[in-house]
Formats: sequence, structure tokens, C-alpha cells
Amino acid sequence: MSRRFDAVVALDQVSLGIGASEVHAIIGENGAGKSTLMNIFCGKLQPSGGELCRDGRPLVLRTPLDAQLAGIAIAPQEVNLVPALTVAENILLGAQPQGRLGMIDWGRTRAQAAACLAKLDDTIDPDLPVERLSKAQQQLVQIARAVATKARILIFDEPTAALTDREAQRLFRFIRSFRDGGGSVFYTSHRLDEILALADRISVLRDGRLVAELEPRRTSKDEMVQHMAGRPVEIGPGKGHDLQDRPVVLEVQGLTRPHEFEDIGFALHEGEILGIAGLVGSGRTELGKCIFGVTSAKAGSIRLFGQPFSASHPADAIARGLVYLPEERKQEGIFPLLSIAENMAMPAMDRFRRLLGLRFNEMVGEVETYVRKVGIKIGEPGDVITTLSGGNQQKVILARWLMKHSKVLILDEPTRGIDVKAKFEIQSFLRGLARQGLSIIYISSELQEVLDVADRILVMHEGRAKGIRPAGEATQESLLALAMS
Amino acid sequence: MTHEITGTAGSRPRRAGPAEFVRRFRQWEASGILIALIVLVVALSLAAPNFLSQYNLSVVARQASFVGLVALGQTLVLLMGGIDLSVGAAAGLSAIVGSLLLTALGIHPYLALPLTMLFGLALGCINGFFVAKLRLNPFIVTLASWEVFAGLTLVITKGAPIRPLGEDFRVFGQGSLFGVPVPVLIFLSAGLILAYVLARTRFGRNIYAVGGNREAASLVGIRVWRIEFLVFGLAGMFAALAGMLYASRMDAGQPSVGEGWLMGAITAAILGGTSLRGGQGSIVGTILGALLMAVLANGIVLLNVSGYWERVIIGLVVLIAILVDLWRRR
Repeated sequence: MSRRFDAVVALDQVSLGIGASEVHAIIGENGAGKSTLMNIFCGKLQPSGGELCRDGRPLVLRTPLDAQLAGIAIAPQEVNLVPALTVAENILLGAQPQGRLGMIDWGRTRAQAAACLAKLDDTIDPDLPVERLSKAQQQLVQIARAVATKARILIFDEPTAALTDREAQRLFRFIRSFRDGGGSVFYTSHRLDEILALADRISVLRDGRLVAELEPRRTSKDEMVQHMAGRPVEIGPGKGHDLQDRPVVLEVQGLTRPHEFEDIGFALHEGEILGIAGLVGSGRTELGKCIFGVTSAKAGSIRLFGQPFSASHPADAIARGLVYLPEERKQEGIFPLLSIAENMAMPAMDRFRRLLGLRFNEMVGEVETYVRKVGIKIGEPGDVITTLSGGNQQKVILARWLMKHSKVLILDEPTRGIDVKAKFEIQSFLRGLARQGLSIIYISSELQEVLDVADRILVMHEGRAKGIRPAGEATQESLLALAMS
Repeated sequence: MTHEITGTAGSRPRRAGPAEFVRRFRQWEASGILIALIVLVVALSLAAPNFLSQYNLSVVARQASFVGLVALGQTLVLLMGGIDLSVGAAAGLSAIVGSLLLTALGIHPYLALPLTMLFGLALGCINGFFVAKLRLNPFIVTLASWEVFAGLTLVITKGAPIRPLGEDFRVFGQGSLFGVPVPVLIFLSAGLILAYVLARTRFGRNIYAVGGNREAASLVGIRVWRIEFLVFGLAGMFAALAGMLYASRMDAGQPSVGEGWLMGAITAAILGGTSLRGGQGSIVGTILGALLMAVLANGIVLLNVSGYWERVIIGLVVLIAILVDLWRRR
């Protein structure tokens, strides 16, 4: 089975199966193709090649409803509930038992929902609106909704990400009893311990390919990590120059924001690229935004150029030369209706302020300088920014902070969603900036990228800093092992 | 005018050819309304000979000024991605307070007018506080303040007009300079100043930035709440100005001042190409929109069509404007 997204192959010739009474775990790094596979199983995506079969007969799932009718249900990673409706209604949404005249039979709705919920948890009140529940409880309701479909094949996509240990143990008990009753379960998780404890079979995906099938009883976390990361790749020379002699520009100590990250500490030297590697949910983006002043820390301290630093608004950070390039370019980066020039010059606009208003000609002149410096392909500086490709838009946003003469750049997934060539250009440009003395924090969930570009790498996992390694001595495997430790 | 084109601030002049001119004109949000206005003016001057008389034109322009001033403030709010439903009521309450300043306190008109505008600014800032600081939905906040302002007007006046406002005050609504009515002069100069502010100042560009992408605006260091607070304040100030000019025109602070101005203001802005989603629109467009509505109303009178048709026609014109806009974007 394969699946293509435009030019990117998300899945390539993956074949796998599942029997009755089996828990089949699927593991891999972000972007390995797990979610694509799950989405095909539940009818949200169509394979562009290959087919699904059931009991030897082809199974065509054009919509999620087809999948539901075929007895397949998914408990997605993202909570997807109606906040104002009660727990019971959410669990049976669209399938509420009806009485005479098509009216919903609330008594039976409540009873059925409560029965499903009881398999997972007995602390949640079915009559409460979902918005009053904690994140973990909402996750459980989401799972109960899959259970309520009475499907024979259940798909769990990172079900324990938001759960506490106790809740997770309860979920595992349910999954085992469901399996023992003849059900089949596909299960993905980044927590390798629970995979080992739960799975009957483990498939490892990497870059859209099925690279290994493992027996839980005969494998280890190390072996799994090795398969997920692939062969260790060669690290290019010329990095890791002697940082010890360089002044520390940014020092973070014990920085904490409950439920986001805890006790993070590191020092960033002048001219250094410090990579922060971590999966979605590791707290890396939250950390970046907190340093930038979008949110405020509960505990800990930051020193910038040797002075105590605490930004209550991004404007404070920008004024001190510390800036942040957001992860979501469309939602948080660009002004889609404004010109390339204004998108780039927005933070530096004050420089062009004169008695009688802004001097656009001066502004455009400087914008053109940076267009050349960063190597951005544009028509006219006055064109709307959305006329550019993603890679060039990203370069404009990067140039935005250079034009502001920033000293410390926090870049959050700076190469996400842009093509390989632009990615390479941005990375080598960043190395050039570091040589000129700029200090960069490079956040990414792609380990290889961090290994390629950073001098040192801080590994984050579930809100905690797991350690800092020089990039020259690290491999994908060692970083992954550090994260999972 | 080129900098009114919101997407292209920062363009350098290209070789000016007819093709380039057409391209620019089509990109401009207010191109449709300008054509519509010209067509309508030509048609009316052919159908009704007295349309072009100086007297009639000054009536039309003055008609456009009151709602037009309110629409200027509303345009700022819409550009920022908000909406202010309380502008009509703020105009009414301000006109009453201003009338009391003139009559009960005997304050000189040249002082009473700015004082009343400050009062309007304060009314708007109340909205601004709830929207910007407490992050409440502007529709709901201003729906509530609309009721409060309108109610206070009735509480103060008990439904009776405050009159007369004095000889000296009448110049604002009834006077004219070189044959142009004073309210029209005020409306156009306010429009010009605002257009300049929007195109050429940090504050103006920040309004477009906040309306186009609030998140991104905050992340490039714009203190979004200040912009929102101030813009709602300005909307209140322009409403107060319009209310006072109207009171001067009538020589009375009537409790009904500002009724119907809200929808007129929003319509003028939308006709002028301002997007309800924020980030797109222009002051020139709004001025043209206000003029178009006044010309329409005037045409209905001149052509002896029943006045009851006015709202039907305006509604249809808005629909046509939206369709033209749809075509323009293709």
C-alpha cells in the first residue's frame, strides 16, 4: 500500500496485517508515516496504490463512515469533541438511541455512554459538559467514543500522550480485555515501554517504509530506536568550534511553566547554534515562546547578555535583540494581505519614521538589500507576500529579524513545509550568520536536521530537558535514546 | 491614493502606461464603487436636470457627511477585524451631552465641540477596554454598550429635545465656506487625515497588521491591545463629532440623533471595499460609499420614486457591490 502527498511520498509500499485477538503496535519518528497509515485505515485518506483486504476480500473505505460500518474506529491523538455538550452526548454523538417520533432517548443515551466510559474510568460524570473536564479526561472520553461504536478493530493514535500513569494502566487493562475478547488493535506511541508491555507485534516505519517487524518478547528499546532512526549518518566537519572561550549571551535556569515544561536550563554562546530536538508535545515551542515573552514563566530565571531578562510582551524581547520565528508560518508568521516589503520591515518600521510619516522609499531600499543578502526570489517588494513560495516566505520572515539587527534568534521549525533546496539554503545561511556572531536556537523535530546544523543539541521530552550533547558526538540513535531515557 | 491599496504599500512607481493603470485600478478595493458612483451621477444628471445644481449637490454632500464621519471610525474598527455596533448610540449620547454643555453650562461652542469629542473618545475607550484588555467579543460588547448609550440618552432627556443651542453653534452644521457646507469640509478633511494616517504612519500600518493577522502582529512586537483600545476610542470620537454636527444642523439635541447611522456606516464601509474579516479596505472607499448612498437617496427623491423604496435599493446595491468584489478577486 502506498500514499503520495503531492511530491512527498508519505507511505511507500507498506504491507502489514492484523489478526483477531492481536495488538499490533506501529512505531516510528514524526513524519515516518504512522498518521497517514492510520488515516487510511479509518477512511480519511485513500491509498494511491495498493489495497486493504479483510478476510481475503478487498475493503474499500471512501469515507470515515465506510470505516465505521466496516467495524473500524479510531481514537485520534487530537481531542475532537463538542465542548458545550455533555460527556454522554459526545460519546454517542450521531448515534444517540432514539425513541418514538425520532426524539433522542436520553435515558438510554446516558446509560449506554456510562457503560462505555466505565470500561476506562469511573471518575468522569457523564452529565458534565466536556469543557469542564481536564485534558486527560477529554482524551478518555474521546477513546470511549471509539469504544461506543462497537468496532472490532480499534485504532489508538498516541492515546497516552495526555494521560497520567494510573489512567494509562486502566486503558491498557481495557485494551487487553478487548483483545482477549477477539478484538484487533492498532496502537501507536512514542513511549516504547508501553509498546513492549502491550503489543503482540511491532512494525517500525521510517520515511514511509516498513523497515522492521519485531517480536516484543525478543526485542529491546535499543533495537527499536535503532530501526526508527536508521543507520547513523556522517556528521560534517567544521562545526563545534570552541564555544568555551565565547561569552554566554543567553542563560536560562530552572525555567518552568506547569504542564508545558519544567526546570529547563541551558547556556547559549555567542556564535553558537544550539539545536533543541524534541517531538511535538515535548514543550520546545512553549519554551521558545516563553523566553520571547509570549507567556510568562512560573519559575526560573533568564539572563540576556549578562543582564537579568524577563519579557512581558514580545516587544520587550525584540527591543533587547532577542527574537522568535514561529512554527506556524501561516497562522503566526506572515501578514497575508500585506506586501513583501511591509512583511519584512514590520518590526523595524520605526527606523523609517519621519516627522511626516513613514518613508516607504527608504524602507523598500533596505528591504531590497536583505532580499539580495538572504537570496529571496521575489517579483517586486510591493507584491503581496502570498505570491511567494513557502520557502521564500520563510526567508522573508527570517530577513525580518535580520533587518531588525537582532542578536539572538529562536527559530521554531524554520524549515517546516518547504522544499529541500530552500531548506538547504536556509540552513547554510544560518551557519553563516552564526559565524558572524549571531546566536541561534534551532528547534526541530527532525533529528537529522538538528544534527546537520547545530553545534550542540538539547534534547527535550515531555517538558523536560534530557541532556545536552555536542552535535559532533551525537547520532540520531543516541538522541532518540536520550529522549526516551 | 496608491498607498490606499493595502497590499502594495512599498511599491515603487513602475513605468506608467495605460495597462499598468488599469491593473492598479482593478486591484484597488474601491474601484467598483468609484465606477458605480460615476455611472449613477451621470445617469441622474441626465434624468433629473436639477441634480447638478449647486444647492442640490451641497444637500447631497451634507447628507453624506454625518453618516460618513461615523463610517470613518467604523472603517478603522473593521480594518482591525472588529466591529462597533454602538457608534449610532454614542453619537446620540454625545450630542445630548454636548447640547447640555452648551445650554446648561453655557460653554463656548468652540470649546464644547472638542470637549464632546473627548467624551465620545471616552465612550469608545469603554468598548476598547472590554475588547482589548478583557478580550471579549466586540460584537457582544458593543451590542451591550449600544443599549446602555441609547438608554442613557433617554434617561437624560426624558425623550424631549434640548433646544435652542445658540446662534454661535449653528455654524458647524449650517454654515458654509466658498459654497461648501461646513460638515462636508470637516468630513473630507477628517477623511484625508485618516487616509494619510492609515497609509503613512506606524499606527496606521499596525491597524492593517492586526486586522490581517493578530497572532503575527503580536509576535513582531506590536502591542495589539493598545491599537484596539485606541481604535475603538477613535470610533467613539468620530461618532461624537457627527452627532454634534447634526445637532448644530438641527439646532437641537434630539434624543433620536444617530438612529440608523450604525447600518449606514457599516454599509458605506462595505460598499467601499472594506472587508468584515479585517485587514483590507480604505478610507477613500468609505468616503465614496457614503457619497453613493447619499446620491441614491437623493435620486429617489428627484425621480419622484416613493421614499419607501430607498432601503430596498440600498440593499440591492450592497448585494451588487459584493458580487462585483467577488469578480474583482477572480
